[in-house]
Amino acid sequence: MTMAGSVLAPNPAPAAAPSPAPRKQRTGRALSDRRTRFGLLNATPVVVYLLILFIYPIFSTLMLSLKGEDGAFTLHWYTDAFRGANLEILLTTLRISAETSLLALGIGFLLASAISRLKPLWAGLAMIVVVVPHFISALVRTYGWIILLGDNGVVNNVLTDLHFPGAPFQLLYNEIGVVIGTTAVMLPYTVLLLYAVMKGIDRRLLAAAASMGAGRITIFRRVYVPLVAPGLVNAGVLSFILCLGYYLTPALMGGEKQTMVASLIDEQVMKQNQWNGASALGIILLLLTFAGLLLLKLLKSAGEALRNRGTAS
Amino acid sequence: MPETDVKPSPAAPTLVTGTGKPLSVTRLRKTYGGVTAVDEVSMEIAAGEFVTFLGASGSGKTTTLMMIAGFCEPDSGSIVVGGRDVTRLAPQKRGLGFVFQQYLLFPHMTVWENVAFPLQLRGVPKAELRRRVGETLEMAGLSAMARRRPRELSGGQQQRVALCRALVYRPPVILMDEPLGALDKKLRDQLQTEIKRIQQELGLTVIYVTHDQEEALVLSDRIAVMRDGRIDQFDTPQELFERPRTPFVADFLGAANFLPGHLEERSDGDAHILVRLDTGGLLRARPQAAAGGARVRAAVQPGRLALCPPGDGFCTGTVETVTYVGTLVRVTVRPLGGANTEPVRLELPAGRAPALGERIGLAADPADVSVFPDVLPDPEHGG
Repeated sequence: MTMAGSVLAPNPAPAAAPSPAPRKQRTGRALSDRRTRFGLLNATPVVVYLLILFIYPIFSTLMLSLKGEDGAFTLHWYTDAFRGANLEILLTTLRISAETSLLALGIGFLLASAISRLKPLWAGLAMIVVVVPHFISALVRTYGWIILLGDNGVVNNVLTDLHFPGAPFQLLYNEIGVVIGTTAVMLPYTVLLLYAVMKGIDRRLLAAAASMGAGRITIFRRVYVPLVAPGLVNAGVLSFILCLGYYLTPALMGGEKQTMVASLIDEQVMKQNQWNGASALGIILLLLTFAGLLLLKLLKSAGEALRNRGTAS
Repeated sequence: MPETDVKPSPAAPTLVTGTGKPLSVTRLRKTYGGVTAVDEVSMEIAAGEFVTFLGASGSGKTTTLMMIAGFCEPDSGSIVVGGRDVTRLAPQKRGLGFVFQQYLLFPHMTVWENVAFPLQLRGVPKAELRRRVGETLEMAGLSAMARRRPRELSGGQQQRVALCRALVYRPPVILMDEPLGALDKKLRDQLQTEIKRIQQELGLTVIYVTHDQEEALVLSDRIAVMRDGRIDQFDTPQELFERPRTPFVADFLGAANFLPGHLEERSDGDAHILVRLDTGGLLRARPQAAAGGARVRAAVQPGRLALCPPGDGFCTGTVETVTYVGTLVRVTVRPLGGANTEPVRLELPAGRAPALGERIGLAADPADVSVFPDVLPDPEHGG
């Protein structure tokens, strides 16, 4: 019935509302279906697993964050989180995450588009070079960066020897250091995501655009980027979310001013034994992550709307 | 049928016609690592002409088209479009239209945007753009789906959009690379008619590449039959069919029967030439320059042969197979006399089918018989 409907409809609206059957009736009908019941039975182990290992811990963290020292309900851990130094840490976290995801996106775009143009063998090798550092412990990688970027590190020594104006630079224990470190961590994700999208683009589309008169820049702007756009949004939001809760690299490569939320949680739990406040921060991080995912959805539907607007004429 | 909601409507009267320009190709040559793909191809194509490059894969037809489009650079030779030498220009500077076999519509744009894209590139004012896109879509019967995405359309509709996109900016020449190759037979026939109609209405110069000889015959004003990087014959479909200049053309366009024999000395002022076939019969062919006594092969299309009582025609034989193909029946006849003779293929109206094993004679109108000296390579080669 639905199939016939969509075929006969001259121009089906993208979000055609389903038949306005009462909700209860539909649920009842769905449950009476043998396949649905069988499916529910099969899903039970997974549901139990998730309930024990995900829902329960998150729920108890939530409860912890809503409990005062005396055990009564309170919201003051949350108000604390949005006050003074804690607010600054929250904003720093957002800023560093934004910087990191933009940088990882930019470098990832260049790398991925270069790799997607290589012959398969070379592309494979290049991908290994991009991904293999990820197999090494994050701690080791971070110390590697510290050796490279220190005041007497390789980078500064080379720049000084070249008499580069202003060298040596302060590349560690400030925001530059943190962003370099976190970008390096996020890069494989953005490269892999973008590479997959770029590989899927039919390069003959670019030739088709050229055949009807489009120059290189126009082809890039009007054809290539719009086709890669979904990947850009995914990769950007993913690295932003991953960066929000990232602990190790900012803690080791940043200074006092680059404390991020994860470090603050660590400090509250390990040094101040302040579990309630840490829980509130954890919940805030979780909500920020959800906000990021929501942003992803909004960006996608906005892109869709933007595309549809052009045809309204 | 997804095609039924598309009703081709008459073209809007404001459409500019006669936009096609002449094209000339001179001694075009292309080699790939020592292998010659296109060898000294030259041709003159008039404005508003529909020309097809017909050949098997590897015949150089697509390479020639790609060189005209600018997607691959010739080693030597020149390409002139409407008086302008474009040989060394990038594809986007040539201003030609191209229709690809795989449609290659932009998936992130709607049908409307796809067709508007080349006009936007040319900075066409908004009002004119709207009018021209609208007219072009209407002409192709696509107005109803202007707001759809390519993936929501059937293959035939997508190729129509691609066609609109290639002709909306009135390019001097439109190149088509097997545009109907991915479609099924019925749709192909329908789109052939439509392409031909639009081409004639707008006076477009079209170069069309295909390996389907039937398609070439239906569409083209002239056909260039290509083989091994060369043009075997460049002529109207009728000329190619009735007066093939090489055995290859005779075989490729009509799957001709080749009957070996030798020329008889001309006698009694007969306008025709006589071929004494190896099977013993005497075949009359249309007048053409040939020396008496020479070994020849006479070519006759299966559809141009007729049955006659045994002993009357140029050949007598027994019916070997009878196959019904719709309104036609395909018959093979094993000639009697002569050793190692190939069976002769016929196409007859379905009502005239002989019985299996029947002894029959074969006759042919001399005008339908071509004679080739028997020194050229086997026609099966490369076909």
